[in-house]
Amino acid sequence: MSTKQKVTKINKSLKFLVLFTLLFSINNLLSAEGGPCKDYGDCDKFKYALNDMESLQSGASTFLNYCYGCHSLQYSRWGRIAKDLQIPEDIFFENLVFDKSIKAGDLMTGAMPEVESAQWFGVAPPDLTLVSRVRGDDWLYSYLRTYYEDSSKQYGVNNLVYPGTAMPNVLAALQGNQKLICKNIPIIAKNGGEKRDSEGNALTKEKCGFLQVEEGTGSLNKEEFDKVIYDLTNFLVYVGEPSKATRERIGWYVIFYFLIFTALSALLYREYHKDYH
Amino acid sequence: MNGVVGKMFGWFNSRLPIANTFERHLSKHPVPSKVNFWYLFGALASVVLIIQIISGIWLIMPYSNTEEQAFSSIEYIMRDVDYGWVIRYMHTTGASMFFAVVYLHMFRGLLYGSYQKPKELVWVFGCAIYLAMMAEGFLGYVLPYGQMSYWGAQVIISLFGAIPYIGESLELWVRGDYYISGITVSRFFALHVVALPLVLIALVFLHLVALHEVGAGNPEGVDIEEHLDEDGVPLDSVPFFPYKVLNALVGIGVFMTVFAIIMFFFPEGGGYFIEMANFEKANPLVTPEHIAPVWYYSPYYAMLRAVPDKLGGLIVMGSAVAILFVVPWLDNSKAASIRYKGVYSKVALALFGISFLTLGYLGTVGVTEVRKTMSIICTFIYFAFFILMPIYTKLEKTKKVPDRL
Repeated sequence: MSTKQKVTKINKSLKFLVLFTLLFSINNLLSAEGGPCKDYGDCDKFKYALNDMESLQSGASTFLNYCYGCHSLQYSRWGRIAKDLQIPEDIFFENLVFDKSIKAGDLMTGAMPEVESAQWFGVAPPDLTLVSRVRGDDWLYSYLRTYYEDSSKQYGVNNLVYPGTAMPNVLAALQGNQKLICKNIPIIAKNGGEKRDSEGNALTKEKCGFLQVEEGTGSLNKEEFDKVIYDLTNFLVYVGEPSKATRERIGWYVIFYFLIFTALSALLYREYHKDYH
Repeated sequence: MNGVVGKMFGWFNSRLPIANTFERHLSKHPVPSKVNFWYLFGALASVVLIIQIISGIWLIMPYSNTEEQAFSSIEYIMRDVDYGWVIRYMHTTGASMFFAVVYLHMFRGLLYGSYQKPKELVWVFGCAIYLAMMAEGFLGYVLPYGQMSYWGAQVIISLFGAIPYIGESLELWVRGDYYISGITVSRFFALHVVALPLVLIALVFLHLVALHEVGAGNPEGVDIEEHLDEDGVPLDSVPFFPYKVLNALVGIGVFMTVFAIIMFFFPEGGGYFIEMANFEKANPLVTPEHIAPVWYYSPYYAMLRAVPDKLGGLIVMGSAVAILFVVPWLDNSKAASIRYKGVYSKVALALFGISFLTLGYLGTVGVTEVRKTMSIICTFIYFAFFILMPIYTKLEKTKKVPDRL
């Protein structure tokens, strides 16, 4: 065997090794621990819109009306939210801030006594300033929409994404009573088609774990409720990192600057190189 | 130079070696005329070092090194300090990028034999820098005092406890308390912002002085000192300033673009640069579901977990770093560059690279039986690369290294 042949052979086996390792890792990745949203499987995807002021304002309003009673936003300041969400301070303080002694520069430390609330709920309601960064947006968006009735629990509800959650379904009045139901679904054959019996009727099997809201029990329909949760999640993403929108805006300018910088230094380099050789 | 400026320069120059130093280390310092992109990472590492020092100084100003306020002071920086988020993300992105460029820089060394005679000391100082960086990075990661800071520190400090006889007292001495507390945070702060940066800067200085003494290498492994012109300047060289500086500037431009993309659009690096659990304040009562180090330590973490015994794991992990220091004396090859080395070296380096990356991946995920077996195999390959080096570099046939670049 010539050296060249040898090298090609080694190159081939190297390529095989690389491929093998890659496949191995991908296989490993896929077979990793169960989905991040537990019993719900994969989380629903959430795409934030931090420049959509209407959505953020609606989310802030939902948070302050439904969540702030128990959950603080201890690293965030009242005035910052009013300013960032473009809500005039007088309107903000009149409609969304219920304690009149609060000033714009105050931190949103909440009103819930920690020790007593731990006795009431089992755990003290956590601070939510950074919840979107700890759990992720997708998780949050899914979690708030996957409560279901479960009479075995303290508050009569359980959650698919966070089984055994200590939080009652505070938004049930909006969403309605959501239950886990079973459905008959078509059996899919190996070739991908639906299985049928000899008379051509589709064969079905019963599968459970589907969420369904009892009609007429909530004040909002599914789309409206999903929008409320979208806005709320969007607001929590904002609170998790108030400078995120600014960061992504400035980022383009910085990248543009460095591209120009690179181009100019490349031209300069070429110019100098020319007269050396 | 005439006039006032010239006179002033003359006054200073006769008291300080300004012109001499400039000529010796910049305008007349010869560097190989033909190198490739692998030779940029050293310059990039010094750029990141400067970024880290400057952003670090600005972070110290609003940071509070107490148990009660460490975590909230980081949020204060992110929210209330003007452009505090820029400074903080610069520092967190910088940490990851520092390791990224240093890993590439070290791989370059292995690829082109940048540790071979007479560059042994350059390599050894480099390894010392890497070791100091690992300590610096670990100490820094504890400072935000999030869940991962706390539990990561718990894992690492408890490793000291595995050392026989002195282990427990050593652990206590490092922690300064019976459990990780504000005392630990404030001593780690002192080490992170004063002690280790001083060590790092001193080592970088020595690394560069040694490099300038023996001269930079090239991808061919040619000794450019062999062919000099009548002034004693190597024929295959260009002056460092402005040619290499301009070359590096282009590399810095590309690098900073990548840096900016990460810093402004993916500062958490998908949970690999800033782990999600670290957005939760340290809680000694709740262990996170999954404790994983930041990506740059993960190969060693995988090795640690591959060994069932804690002391054994510690020894393996320590040896993995220690063995890097002796590489110059393990390589028996006549050729420096992989281009002229034999087949064994090529295969060995490829396997080493693959197993190091695989270990890096394995260190970030949970343990399963398959993954554990893989970690063990990769750990063996990692060590085999070094331990067998004297043998395979001696046995293989090398190609003839050319005279000129």
